[in-house]
Amino acid sequence: MSQQDPSTINGGIVVAMTGKDCVAIACDLRLGSQSLGVANNFEKIHQYGKVFIGFTGLATDALTLSADLKYKHNLYKLKENRGIQPEVFANLISSTLYEKRFGPYFSTPVVAGLSEKTGEPYVAGFDCIGCIDAARDFIVAGTASDQLFGMCEALYEPNLESEDLFETISQALLNAADRDAISGWGAAVYMITKDKVTKTYLKTRQD
Amino acid sequence: MLSEFADKLQQNENVLQREAFGNDFKGMDNLAGNNKFQKLAPTIEMAPVSNPAEFLRAHTDDSKNPDCAIKIAHGTTTLAFRFQGGIIVAVDSRATAGQWIASQTVNKVIRINPFLLGTLAGGAADCQYWETWLGTQCRLYELRNKERITVAAASKILGNLVYEYKGAGLSMGTMVCGYTKKEGPSIYYVDSDGTRLKGDLFCVGSGQTFAYGVLDSNYKWDLSVEEALYLGKRSILAAAHRDAYSGGSINLYHVTENGWIYHGNHDVDKIFWETKESEKSFNNVIG
Amino acid sequence: MSPQHGSQPIQHQFNPYSDNGGTLLGIAGEDFAILASDTRQSVDYSINTRLSHKIKVISPPVTKEMKLESTDIVGTKNSVLFGTNGFSADGDALTKAFEENWKWYVHDQNSNVETGFEFLNENNEEKESFMSMQSAARNVQHLLYGKRFFPYYVHTILAGLDEEGKGCVYSFDPVGSYEREQCRVGGAGASLIMPFLDNQVNFKNQYIPGTNSTERRKIEYLSLDECLKLVKDAFTSVTERHITVGDGLEIFIIDKNGVRSEYHALKKD
Repeated sequence: MSQQDPSTINGGIVVAMTGKDCVAIACDLRLGSQSLGVANNFEKIHQYGKVFIGFTGLATDALTLSADLKYKHNLYKLKENRGIQPEVFANLISSTLYEKRFGPYFSTPVVAGLSEKTGEPYVAGFDCIGCIDAARDFIVAGTASDQLFGMCEALYEPNLESEDLFETISQALLNAADRDAISGWGAAVYMITKDKVTKTYLKTRQD
Repeated sequence: MLSEFADKLQQNENVLQREAFGNDFKGMDNLAGNNKFQKLAPTIEMAPVSNPAEFLRAHTDDSKNPDCAIKIAHGTTTLAFRFQGGIIVAVDSRATAGQWIASQTVNKVIRINPFLLGTLAGGAADCQYWETWLGTQCRLYELRNKERITVAAASKILGNLVYEYKGAGLSMGTMVCGYTKKEGPSIYYVDSDGTRLKGDLFCVGSGQTFAYGVLDSNYKWDLSVEEALYLGKRSILAAAHRDAYSGGSINLYHVTENGWIYHGNHDVDKIFWETKESEKSFNNVIG
Repeated sequence: MSPQHGSQPIQHQFNPYSDNGGTLLGIAGEDFAILASDTRQSVDYSINTRLSHKIKVISPPVTKEMKLESTDIVGTKNSVLFGTNGFSADGDALTKAFEENWKWYVHDQNSNVETGFEFLNENNEEKESFMSMQSAARNVQHLLYGKRFFPYYVHTILAGLDEEGKGCVYSFDPVGSYEREQCRVGGAGASLIMPFLDNQVNFKNQYIPGTNSTERRKIEYLSLDECLKLVKDAFTSVTERHITVGDGLEIFIIDKNGVRSEYHALKKD
């Protein structure tokens, strides 16, 4: 067999959406080895202060990258004595990824958070060498990104309240995952508003 | 009326498709109009190159060439086993092209006739096409010989056919299951390499190992019909869970001396949670 | 290995295929069916034309009386809506081959039965008959499988009314495996639209509110207006995100009154 694509060995998806004074980010829970399902508790979203980042792609790289960013985030907090802003974190990720320009991490992160000063929702995606895509509406990543693009483009509308945004992002994730053989096996949704963050597990198909 | 039709068929040399194999239609190529549809199978065209099999592989085999233009639907779990009460056939219903789930509602059991079933794994078109064709061959056999074809003979027609095409690029792994007075309940495994095996228990497809795991550890000849149906369904469920290329829903059949009985379509999403609840199994899954 | 020029024979591959992009969509309703496609035809990053037709209405002659009732009728209720997507040359060839078969079949059905087979038409029925969708689908399988080892590079979708007058959609893979479905998308935008249709037509992942995700929303037929809305939404969405989809949207609707068509502009960028 020819060389396999590292970004589609483990499978998995992440999606983030902006709403009215809120932002949501969601991921599936599968970790596989090609066709074999290995784990159904592989959470792809990590929390860094008030910023949430989802990592898709090759699991080993996603884990390495998330640990590296945790280290950098801790240093930032020690130096600056304050939490990091989502925009700042996006730039930190960008430069971290570009350091490996000629031997990249096979992972495409997604950032979601609320800007502390303005309260504006912020989402951003990247390619695997750090190009920032700071969209106003939604960001998708992972092995079912085409399916997510279709779902989001059709379901999304701007300035949704958090309850409606939750339903929108959940339906986008669930139906996209159900058309991808290597995504699914559970899902988690984070809803981030000014004064609280809720995490919800969704009941999904198990095939 | 039927025997009359059979006699007519025998009188009409020109209309009767005598050849046992699909691609030998010399002299019938120029048919148009009136008897254009009397052919049971078309002549199959090859690419005008020195090595058509290589050409086909380059353009359609996504395991050899992931960027190939034409992706043919693959991936399956199917099983059939013999037991005290006849035969159980159980299959999933997912079709995938690469990692894309092309369909969750594929019918992977072909009803060749009221006493014969064929399962479908590998190339969806290959199985669907040739097993329907096998149905016509079995019907012709019945009309000519005034008795039903044996499972052995039916599976051999299919086996010989795929052997004719060996190396050309067919992809099928199938079980021909049925009952005749002569043989009793019997299962033949036939694949596109030309293998033809008689046996008591087979699992075929990308999820076969998962299905074997459940089936082997619970299989007994003395299973009741209810137990056997459940075991068939449960084995496919295990495969649907672990194998990314299997899933959708489960189709169940029971073959008896009176022919096959359909035991319904079971959505994996529904029966997974039911099974987890009632068996206290699948404890790796939260919720 | 030395980079010496000409030291190694260069292998040239015979590649008779190209990808002309585009998307094809079929939905079956209770007493109607829809087949829709965009009208862009492209290759790589170039657009060949902004108005190509991927769907052919294969219909018995439309009578004057039918035209009087409604001027925009382009086919009868016995039509087959035949759509192909992928490599358009193969699509055109397949459409032509099917159309010829369809004509001969209808001709045969309505002409006197061959000598020796009179018993097949004992009642000597005079009623004009056409090709059922079931037969059309089986014939398309044979056409596609006839090139199993040199395939037509197309995804085919058929829409029409079945023998009970219910809407039906048949979809085919490039080598002829087929299935009757409620809805199907083929071509470049399939991966974007198909999950949306699962959700909106077959109500996948939808539960009745207040049941804690235990009771699923029951499947029911959508009205024609609801289906048309979904089709337009689907195509405007996929036009945003896929480079080979756009320019125009051609929709064919078949019901008991016949076939009519609609055209809507899509973004041309």
